[in-house]
Amino acid sequence: MKQLIDISKELFESKKVGYIIGYAEDKFKRVKPFVAHSSSDAERFVFSNYSVNNLAVYLTRLLKPKESKIGIVAKGCDIKSIIALIQENQIKREDVIIIGVNCNGVVNQIDEQFSKENTAIKCKYCQVRTPAHYDYLVGEIKDVDLPEDKNFAIMQKLESMNAEERWNFWEAEFEKCVKCYACRQVCPLCYCEQCIVDKSMPRWIDSSATVKGNFAWNMIRAFHLSGRCIGCNECERACPADIPLSLLNRKMGMVAMNEFNYRHGTDINQPTLIGNYNVNDKEDFIM
Amino acid sequence: METEKFEPKIVAFVCNWCTYTGADLAGTSRLKQQTNARLIRVPCTGRIDPVFIIKAFEKGADGVLVSGCHPNDCHYNTGNFHARRRWIFFRQLLDFVGIDSSRLYFSWVSASEGKKWVDVVDGVINSVREKGPFNGYKKLNKEIEIPVK
Amino acid sequence: MRIGVFICHCGENIGRTVDCPSVAKACANFSGVVHAEDYKYMCSDPGQNLIKQAIKEKNLDAVVVGSCSPHMHEKTFRKACSDAGINPYLVEMANLREHCSWIHDDVPLATKKAIDLVRMLVEKVKFNEPLIPIRVPVTKRALVIGGGISGIQASLDIANAGYEVVLVEKEPSIGGHMSQLSETFPTLDCSQCILTPRMVEVYQHPRIKLMSYSEVENVEGFIGNFSVTIRKKARSVKDELCTGCGLCVQKCPIKKVALSDFDEGLATRPAMYVPFPQAVPNIPVIDRSVCTYFKTGKCQLCKKVCGREAIDFEQQDQFIKEDVGAIIVATGYKLYTIDKKPDDNPIKGYGEYGYGKYKNVINGLQFERIASASGPSSGEMIRPSDKTVPKKIVFIQCVGSRDESKGFSYCSKICCMYTAKHAMLYKHKVHDGEAYVFYMDIRAGGKNYDEFVRRAIEEDGVKYIRGRVSKIFEENGKLIVKGEDTIAGVRVEIDADMVVLATAMTAQSDSSKLAQTLSVSYDKYGFINEAHPKLKPVETSTGGIFIAGACNAPRDIPDSVSMASAAAAKALVLFGSDVLEREPVVAKVNEATCAGCFYCQKVCAYNAVEQKEIKDRQGNVIKVVAYVNSGLCQGCGTCNATCPSKSIELLGFKDDQIYAQINSFAEVF
Repeated sequence: MKQLIDISKELFESKKVGYIIGYAEDKFKRVKPFVAHSSSDAERFVFSNYSVNNLAVYLTRLLKPKESKIGIVAKGCDIKSIIALIQENQIKREDVIIIGVNCNGVVNQIDEQFSKENTAIKCKYCQVRTPAHYDYLVGEIKDVDLPEDKNFAIMQKLESMNAEERWNFWEAEFEKCVKCYACRQVCPLCYCEQCIVDKSMPRWIDSSATVKGNFAWNMIRAFHLSGRCIGCNECERACPADIPLSLLNRKMGMVAMNEFNYRHGTDINQPTLIGNYNVNDKEDFIM
Repeated sequence: METEKFEPKIVAFVCNWCTYTGADLAGTSRLKQQTNARLIRVPCTGRIDPVFIIKAFEKGADGVLVSGCHPNDCHYNTGNFHARRRWIFFRQLLDFVGIDSSRLYFSWVSASEGKKWVDVVDGVINSVREKGPFNGYKKLNKEIEIPVK
Repeated sequence: MRIGVFICHCGENIGRTVDCPSVAKACANFSGVVHAEDYKYMCSDPGQNLIKQAIKEKNLDAVVVGSCSPHMHEKTFRKACSDAGINPYLVEMANLREHCSWIHDDVPLATKKAIDLVRMLVEKVKFNEPLIPIRVPVTKRALVIGGGISGIQASLDIANAGYEVVLVEKEPSIGGHMSQLSETFPTLDCSQCILTPRMVEVYQHPRIKLMSYSEVENVEGFIGNFSVTIRKKARSVKDELCTGCGLCVQKCPIKKVALSDFDEGLATRPAMYVPFPQAVPNIPVIDRSVCTYFKTGKCQLCKKVCGREAIDFEQQDQFIKEDVGAIIVATGYKLYTIDKKPDDNPIKGYGEYGYGKYKNVINGLQFERIASASGPSSGEMIRPSDKTVPKKIVFIQCVGSRDESKGFSYCSKICCMYTAKHAMLYKHKVHDGEAYVFYMDIRAGGKNYDEFVRRAIEEDGVKYIRGRVSKIFEENGKLIVKGEDTIAGVRVEIDADMVVLATAMTAQSDSSKLAQTLSVSYDKYGFINEAHPKLKPVETSTGGIFIAGACNAPRDIPDSVSMASAAAAKALVLFGSDVLEREPVVAKVNEATCAGCFYCQKVCAYNAVEQKEIKDRQGNVIKVVAYVNSGLCQGCGTCNATCPSKSIELLGFKDDQIYAQINSFAEVF
């Protein structure tokens, strides 16, 4: 990734950035998020099919810019998160330098070899292999063998079930949830300083790992992200209990698309879906 | 032992300016209705968070009714528009997760629609009575074994 | 918390269907309730005294009254408890009458429901907090934006009531469009004659500060406390020295340099000009874009002839700050310009009518100037191209209005009336002339309006043709008007000498910019929105800002004047007290947990959410959080439901208060 390293070094040398968030290999050759503070650090930058992490999450937690700008290496889906964060006043566009990367798909199971079967399902529908917004662009687009969408069959099955069957399906899934909140921690748009689940007065959502609390937690998280989730599916990847959270995100994304023709994070000037209204929003369900 | 006939428990979240006043009008007009509904007053439907609805179901409601001012008539101009957009998402989410979204009812009832309010409430109660009790959470509540005084 | 529960029988109204004594008994067992009793009429004096006594004797912190609807007696019980020492917001009412006893027959079920309703409110009140009404000081001065008939009326009403008014008008003279009219319907009063006395009254009024040739640049603050920055544009004349002698205007060598706005482009004016002879103030203005001195540095004739040394070429725009408590927007209207527009402009032109192409196709205001005694032809009815008297005039109504495809779906309200008026004026001046009016409908709903239109048809012989005009083109010096008569079912072609188009009445071109400066909402046409179409026609949803006249919707003079007085009355209500007391049911932000996403700001209909910087000791900004202006917040709570982390809460209906009500289901039923 010489192009990426050169640009990063140039940004450091011209003092345009204080640090750059990107990916690097550890001593076991695993690709991980890495923060470079200098040109020599930047030598370690890589980008490959194993660069799964959505680095935009680091823009919200610890690394709010103080005196200098932040650089970030991001693929198309991650950049949607960055645009979403800018629209929601978490970061200013001028404070972040986006090094966009032409992406050729990322792995599904990070411990295994990248292949057609082991590609993230989101990559099948990706329209931003060349990102839509960036300050610099690196990498080359190559042909990619798109994976099969295994979730499509599951979604169809769910649509054909009745309410009780669906409840049983999700009960079985949410039984596995241990309330580790990895889904929340890895999500760039879950930046609330005090999450609703942590509020005890009143206790809307049980924080302990009861099935009732798990239902409430996952429902409310999906609801708070409706119209905001950009579909990076990091939550599902991070879930240690293998709960198919991407199905929930996908459903909410479909509602945003079908009812409102809206995709969050694609147009920085578009008014957000939540927070605005249309006098013609449908109300066939209202008596 | 005789099994008691199932009587649905309905929680109604109503906006202060339109529906609550409409319900008052139904009262002043002495229009009779069934006793199953309990009203919770909020200033505007915009104040209604879907967590309220989930909590109501968790606590044993068999049906939930949400009612407010007609679009363009909201006392606070736009509260019901924002609420409506929320509901569009929330209903689909409930359905997807397996909570029958037809147990969640919405209506626009203005301050002058006392008769409509009676029709809405009775309609909801009858409809939920037919569906039967909402059992999903009853089992989950037992799991936590909340001791009842 | 020590709670007292009081159940009212309301005579037989509640008592007949709800077993009140057993409700009171059941409530006595609720946790937190230390006193429970029932009584025949709680709202009566003895009833209220029972409550006050119990508060004192049992040391109550909060009260729940189970009786009629809170819409009925919430204020009564709140005041009673407040007199006894409890904060009024620790008092809740359970509706056992309208929502229980009056709508049910079954006594056991109704009683059970009554117990549940009281229980829910007992649980709620445990989380109620004492709230203090918000007091906001009021600056008793008004700002009126726009010096047309609406602005003038509003200014006079407020000034005559004893308060100071700042009247800002962007043109060099006040008077607005009404000063351009020749006669007004339905009385055919001379427009200038009824307007100029008012204009002079404004100018001479000790409490009206007239700022003409000025515009509102910036508005900050909120109801009762606005801080307005006004740009006083440079006339190049010192207004405190000028006597209005007019010598400079006479001597200005650039006589015909520019088209007169006042005469709607039908006449010219010099570089140094007064817009019309009756202008108020009667102080000239130098149009710097055409003045020789400003272009080449030569001339200065005006300065030489001015006996008072009032000419000041160095004069700059001034920025003046004014503090006011109420603002009235009366910026009026503009006529839709109907020549061809570029394709990306949502407002389409009417190229097929030849406006702008043929000199003798004019709009309504241009006709007014021709008909006016002070106009370019001194009232003689002559057509613009060759100054001959037109023998046939065609008037076309609904040009642009009621036409989705041209961008205006609404009716402009005044055109049917002024077209009839124009036709009548023409017939009065040209007795043998023929006047034709192409119309879709006749809207003459006001007082004496229909009789006026009938007069035009029956007495003055104006011919009304129901149909639209498809095209106008010139042939042999005549304008061929091709239209249709839908009643007779034939095509009609008229060879007219002049065509007058009744074009749509729209908002001023900078109306949306002004609305944004004021933070008032406006619609897609630029008209300023009223707070409620039926019950609040002169208020906007921004507290303290009122509207009058055509800036809100197409409107005629009597309605504009009524609205202006109504807006003035609203301002006077505001000035009626030194301090504005508002219900404290407002939103409040928990700055520690607010993440600064500002979704609350997006959903607030009243612009009550502002941004606030949280700084550390060194002055560095740590984060930007939301902040609620409690003067503007109306207490709807939409922000509370939108915030994912519930960092903004509506006092009086907070999450824990609502949770308590829902939670009481677990023990209920």
